[in-house]
Amino acid sequence: MVSYTVQAPAYFKIFFHAAKHPHKQVNGVLLGVSTSSGVEIQDAIPLLHHWTSLSPMMEIGLDLAARHAESLGLNLVGYYQASERLDDTALAPVGEKVASKVKEGFADAVAFVIDGNKLGSNDAALIPYISQSSSTWRPFTEASAPFSSNSSFQLSSSDLPTRAVALVQEQHLHQKFGDFDDHLEDVAIDWLRNREAMPADL
Amino acid sequence: MSIASALQTLANYRSHSARASQDIVEKGEEVLKANAVVQLGDEAWAFLEQLTLAAIDVGRLDIADECLEELAKTFPDSPRVNVLTGIRMEGSESPDTILKFYNEQLKEETANPGIWKRKISLLRRMGKIDDCVEELSTYLDTFYNDLEGWVELADIYASCHQYTSSLQALSHSLLLAPQNPFYALQFAETAFTANDIPLALKMFLVVIDMCERDLSTPIEAKESVPSGVGVRAWYGLKLCCRRALGRSSASSSSSLTSQSNTSLPDLKKLQKLDELATERVLTAYSASARGAEGKAVVMAWMGSTD
Repeated sequence: MVSYTVQAPAYFKIFFHAAKHPHKQVNGVLLGVSTSSGVEIQDAIPLLHHWTSLSPMMEIGLDLAARHAESLGLNLVGYYQASERLDDTALAPVGEKVASKVKEGFADAVAFVIDGNKLGSNDAALIPYISQSSSTWRPFTEASAPFSSNSSFQLSSSDLPTRAVALVQEQHLHQKFGDFDDHLEDVAIDWLRNREAMPADL
Repeated sequence: MSIASALQTLANYRSHSARASQDIVEKGEEVLKANAVVQLGDEAWAFLEQLTLAAIDVGRLDIADECLEELAKTFPDSPRVNVLTGIRMEGSESPDTILKFYNEQLKEETANPGIWKRKISLLRRMGKIDDCVEELSTYLDTFYNDLEGWVELADIYASCHQYTSSLQALSHSLLLAPQNPFYALQFAETAFTANDIPLALKMFLVVIDMCERDLSTPIEAKESVPSGVGVRAWYGLKLCCRRALGRSSASSSSSLTSQSNTSLPDLKKLQKLDELATERVLTAYSASARGAEGKAVVMAWMGSTD
């Protein structure tokens, strides 16, 4: 089983995206590389928070994100989404479609659904989905719970969730965060990098 | 932040029905603490309603209860307050309890649209999509002018991949609000998702037309910089043209199918539209007053032919 590590910029950006739009669905893609010790998920690019069932802007955003990743020497390695409801942790059909597309370009692609119940806690609020065949995605199960000490899924540092909560509550960094939907309304918004929303001590 | 400026911000939020719940609660709490509600005169009730909703949204049920008590005292048996009571219940009770409450309310006064809509949104939240759609359709039969209802119906259908029904619902929105480019845009994007490229293309053009209505001369149009909804529509147009041109290349014989039987513009026009859309989007990036991010990838995307 491949192992996956989620690094701070990726975790923070997913978190900020969900925190900025608490009553909406949000989604985006993950960037990273494959190394000898597994997949490093280094960054995330947020896509939509509006009309998440509709495809044209998603397609364009995905394409632009892929090109940006390439320019940095990174791959698109996964997809993330958050639902508007706490109890809805399924990877919606739209999600499966995008995740499968990412998997076409990166065999070890992973999808994360944000666990709304864990968002405010010290635990990683991500539920991993893996695809066995070309388009069916299932929640990943193994002996250890995801992001626990023996799991194939790890955070680069265990304090990421706590730090993320603090950054939202104290510094309101999520307010400076913008996704592709925001960018389409104002092209000055830095949706590909979100440099202004990242803490100085990253 | 003075009470006066807080009140002004809150009034602004009310006029736009903005869901800035965190901010509303912070400012609203200050107003309550300063006993300044009386300053609002008649607006006091709208303010309390606004604060109730925002407080429930961020989980400050204590504030919500305080406001609701005041409202219930002053307006006993008011349908509007009843709706707020229901929403407050939604913040802490189980869905089945709330559903029972709404059904009881609806038995008493069947035409309280506020309660009916809360029931519909509750059904959606519970995942009872079939019931939700049935109730919403019946609701819209009675209250045809409820624009928000048609948009919600379209959204529900789209989330279930029922794009034809979604477009039908949106066509009512277009009838009710013909000047608003957002509904035409939603229509265009839904048509694209349904793979009806000719229809999507046509509707993106409609959006662009709405956005550029003020540009009366060709020179004005040429020198204008697309912004806001316009940028999204030009992007959409570009995507449609690329699809349409890709299919009509020499190798493939079938033209794009359109479920709505919309015809495509001819090849030459398509190419011109493609050029125009490219130029307009790139202008939005190069001429943006505050600079633009990610221009390089956009240019590369424009240049590719797949």
